[in-house]
Amino acid sequence: MDSLSNGAAAATIATRTTPITTTPAPPSSKLAHLTESLKLEHQFLRVPFEHYKKSIRADHRVFEKEMSAVISGVTEAADADVSKDDAVHHLSSLVSKLQGLKRKLEGGSRIENLQAQRCRARLDHLESADAENLTDWNNTRLKRILVDYMLRMSYYDTAAKLAESNNIQDLVDIDVFQEAKRVIDALQNKEVAPALAWCADNKSRLKKSKSKFEFQLRLQEFIELVRAENSMRAITYARKYLSPWGATHTKELQRVMATLAFKSNTECARYKVLFEPIQWDFLVDQFKQEFCRLYGMTLEPLLNIYLQAGLSALKTPYCYEDDCTKEDPLSQDNFRKLALPLPYSKQHHSKLVCYITKELMDTENPPQVLPNGYVYSTKALEEMAKKNNGKITCPRTGLICDYLDLVKAYIS
Amino acid sequence: MELTTIKDAFDRVNKKQKLSSSKSQEVIDQVGREIEQALEKIQSADDPTSPFDQKSILTDLVLELNAIDPLHQLEGPQKELNLNLSKYQKLLERFFNPDISKAYRNVDFDLHIVNQILASHFYQEGLFDLGDSILNEAGEPEATVLKSQFLDMHQIIEAARLRNLEPALKWASTNREKLKQNGSKIELKLHQLQFLDVLQKGTRADAVIYARTYLAPFYSLHKKEFQKLMCCLLWAGRIGSAPYPEITSPSHWENLTEELTREFCSVLGHSYGSPLGVAISAGIEGLPTLLKLVSVMSAKKQEWQAMKQLPVPVELGKEFQFHSIFVCPVSRDQGSEENPPMLMPCSHVLCKQSMMKLSKSGTRSFKCPYCPAEISVGQWRQLYF
Ligand SMILES: [Zn+2]
Repeated sequence: MDSLSNGAAAATIATRTTPITTTPAPPSSKLAHLTESLKLEHQFLRVPFEHYKKSIRADHRVFEKEMSAVISGVTEAADADVSKDDAVHHLSSLVSKLQGLKRKLEGGSRIENLQAQRCRARLDHLESADAENLTDWNNTRLKRILVDYMLRMSYYDTAAKLAESNNIQDLVDIDVFQEAKRVIDALQNKEVAPALAWCADNKSRLKKSKSKFEFQLRLQEFIELVRAENSMRAITYARKYLSPWGATHTKELQRVMATLAFKSNTECARYKVLFEPIQWDFLVDQFKQEFCRLYGMTLEPLLNIYLQAGLSALKTPYCYEDDCTKEDPLSQDNFRKLALPLPYSKQHHSKLVCYITKELMDTENPPQVLPNGYVYSTKALEEMAKKNNGKITCPRTGLICDYLDLVKAYIS
Repeated sequence: MELTTIKDAFDRVNKKQKLSSSKSQEVIDQVGREIEQALEKIQSADDPTSPFDQKSILTDLVLELNAIDPLHQLEGPQKELNLNLSKYQKLLERFFNPDISKAYRNVDFDLHIVNQILASHFYQEGLFDLGDSILNEAGEPEATVLKSQFLDMHQIIEAARLRNLEPALKWASTNREKLKQNGSKIELKLHQLQFLDVLQKGTRADAVIYARTYLAPFYSLHKKEFQKLMCCLLWAGRIGSAPYPEITSPSHWENLTEELTREFCSVLGHSYGSPLGVAISAGIEGLPTLLKLVSVMSAKKQEWQAMKQLPVPVELGKEFQFHSIFVCPVSRDQGSEENPPMLMPCSHVLCKQSMMKLSKSGTRSFKCPYCPAEISVGQWRQLYF
């Protein structure tokens, strides 16, 4: 809160003829902050919606595919000369195919209902934030942010425990990340099949975002064939899976084809790196990015985004001094290190914190000056005077003076 | 409220999805029935009276299915569903900020540090299994010291919550010196609560013994409190009616856990609130300002990544003000050791450099920029916040 400032520019202050004494403190800005902060919750609503949409699309595709198969099955039977038994057998199999489809779609529909419920639960949760439950609501938000971080870092157990113990499963995306976990686990075991299957599942959207993740997976498979000294298979593989990308990714294709001549024990740095295990880590990172993009998540964990904004807003040169108060996160080495590459905050108006009470000195609790120039809040000094028969002892210099010796300081 | 609009839009999506899915069930049933009917006819074709032969039954079935046109029947509901899906998505993008990472500076946080911060957050909150769990999953070393400190704290507080002050008293006497340095009265307070408890439940004699053993050492430092406590002996068994609500009020028990937590953290050199919680809350309050800023300076992406100080203030609540920052009202410079705040006799404060400018390097008197006062040379002094 900025109760010392009156919001006017220096020029207008200068024209005043009386000291600025009473600018009423603005009303609690907490609810205004809440409204602003709700606008940051796009991901919170978008992810379950993407999940829902994905199920809807998948079910519809299944319907189209199976239904077309049934119809062409009937047409085939009508065109061919088949025995009665064959016709009966054929039609029966189509009937059971339809029953299978029906069951499948019923199951899909149940899942979609749950997903829709989750979307609505999140809307309700956002709507439920108000002045009365703000503390609890903010605590839940912190937990949501922590779960998001842990899921992205693959700390699934801790994420699940935190969500369960607080009963916030509907407010976090554990099930969405289950899908990612399968692919990531496989990539860490140097298997590309689940990742390729994932690419096939999301083909049209990946294509729309011009993703080259599938190409990167194919390159890695090719490299593994070269590593196994299986040149002929590598070439066949390249013709089938790499050449379609040749037009758009010529350079990468040429570079990787060159490895056929060098083999995996090459010392040539340009090619050696392609054989290193770190390539698999790159694939994992790449996958995480594609995955987040597809679900409308930020590419960085929410924790990092908020932490960075918070540390920047809190960072002042005073944070790095020895007497920095313990209540400032930047008094801790860990936070100081994180904040090192971040910009300092800026102030347009003075903000004074009483050394004794740690409270903001504003018009309600104005600063007063001791004869030695040390400044404390009126509240702290009044209390000290009351206890000690009007005597004030400066806690930093030991100077003793009378309460009546104090003078006010007008700070705008 | 905007959320109502968004909810309505979602309800429409949900309705269309249900419509489309019941339509597909309906179509499946319809097709299934046709095939089953054809099947029956074929099976009963043995009947010589039956006018149908197999071929014509199948041809009829094809015609029938073409007339049903199952895929076409779904086109309408699907189209409406898709329309509402994309409407909802656009609504989300309009009402919410679709990319809150726009103000993110591309620096990598050290993963180990972040994980340690998370673990100590969990420990501080008393969530010990979560703290252990994340260190384990992240492959980080155990934080044994930190954990045992907070374990002690939570045991003491849990016991105090159940009105068992033994652990708290033991801790307070072990840390007596540090508590005294911090100006804490927690030990007296604990003994006071214990004494009143004895007085309420036990005999006067027990209470006197307790007072002699544990309260007497506090006499010299806290005479007034001590005398009042001893007077409570007169109200044994009905403490509530003693005329010292400041001592006997049940609110002492209610506030005890918070007070103990505060004192415990202070002795250990920890903050009372979780520093992670504080930093994140500051981030949530500050981020909207940063995002607005980035959107107006989108052309200068490079500058954003490199600036040493934010170009505008990010206003945070009172609870995030940890340091005194003086900003000169004339020059708008932030006070520093070289350029400290100076108090003039009229009680207005400027920074030293502004003062030097106005007084021509301290050679002549000047008029205060904020009031009619005339400030003579040397009539100013430095302030320390
Ligand atoms: Zn003045």
